[in-house]
Amino acid sequence: MSDPGERDALAAEYALGALDHDEWQEAQRLIARDPAFARAVAVWEQHLAPMAALADPADPPADLWGRIDTATASANDNVVPLRRVRWWQAGTAGALAIAASLAAFIVLRQSEPTHVAVLAPIAGGTAVLLATEAPGGHLTVRPNGTIAVPPGKDLELWALAKGETKPRSLGVLPADGRTLIAPLAPDTQLLVSLEPRGGSSTGQPTGPVVYGGTLARLN
Amino acid sequence: MPDSTPFADDTATLLHRCAHGDRSAFRMLYDRCGAKLHGVALRITRQASLAADATQEAFVQVWQQAHRFDPERGSADAFLVTLVRYRALDIVRRTSREISGYEGEEQEDESPDALSRLVSSSEGVALKRCLERLETDRRKMVMMAFVDGLSHSDLAQKLSMPLGTVKSAIRRSLLSLRECLAA
Repeated sequence: MSDPGERDALAAEYALGALDHDEWQEAQRLIARDPAFARAVAVWEQHLAPMAALADPADPPADLWGRIDTATASANDNVVPLRRVRWWQAGTAGALAIAASLAAFIVLRQSEPTHVAVLAPIAGGTAVLLATEAPGGHLTVRPNGTIAVPPGKDLELWALAKGETKPRSLGVLPADGRTLIAPLAPDTQLLVSLEPRGGSSTGQPTGPVVYGGTLARLN
Repeated sequence: MPDSTPFADDTATLLHRCAHGDRSAFRMLYDRCGAKLHGVALRITRQASLAADATQEAFVQVWQQAHRFDPERGSADAFLVTLVRYRALDIVRRTSREISGYEGEEQEDESPDALSRLVSSSEGVALKRCLERLETDRRKMVMMAFVDGLSHSDLAQKLSMPLGTVKSAIRRSLLSLRECLAA
């Protein structure tokens, strides 16, 4: 989308909620791949949000907190995939070497990333995704080729900070990549799991962790 | 920060504590904002069970993504409202609501009077001023799109207007809002 006026209008219509299904999805794809569009959407979200005061408050069902509590607190029952990540952690040295060799290339193309991670299949193999983090926490994840996602499934991106045992969801990862705001510390592991459409509903990976890599500082 | 927004500060503090894994802050956030967010979801989904799903998903996202809230970039209220609206809109767009679903009770909050509810925040004051500058019909469309989650074609159907007319009216309204808010 080259026309800034047109881009801003679409961002406004998306934030307003006026887009029908197809345009709605197209706007979501744009948010994932066009940081300027994503920023325009964020500005409009801020502008329009006060209108929410027009909706009368409504008491949620009595059991809703229990559902939310369960979905967010009991998630550490689901750490099975992480055990697989642990042994894999030892294999990141090769990935870091690839990262270093890609660094110059990345710096030329993008807005001066400070950190990079190469995400490779947990089962072993070549890099599938490249993640770069620029100042301000602008995390960009791009596929290195084509990623096949099984029908009815979505990839979900997770950040596992060093020393932590539970990863934090960074949301669904479209097969063509995504840019988001997520300030991450160096040595954070980025993981990608295979989840039901729309992502995990438990707050933790429910499907297998398929790709992973560790965020390293670029010098 | 004007003194009319003490809650915004508190919500931001609670979000910040959630980002650090503070469960009690999460519960306090739910107690403080649950009814407001559920109300927003209910207007869009028009079904209690769907609204509950949207509110639940939104709070799960709040817990997971609280670290993404940046007070430099916007208010905590807007962060929460945005999360629940997209969950609710995703649900209704995905389930491609029956047209008859719109025929629920009509809420007459599109009057200028209703806009007085916006003044609880400084952002709301600016938005109210700019909404008031729109022609009545256009203001109504903008408010129905945001509050009721009606898409272009939902609005065309509901107002018995050609789709193109609705689209251009919404677009012109947003353009004039942009100019007004930037002024």
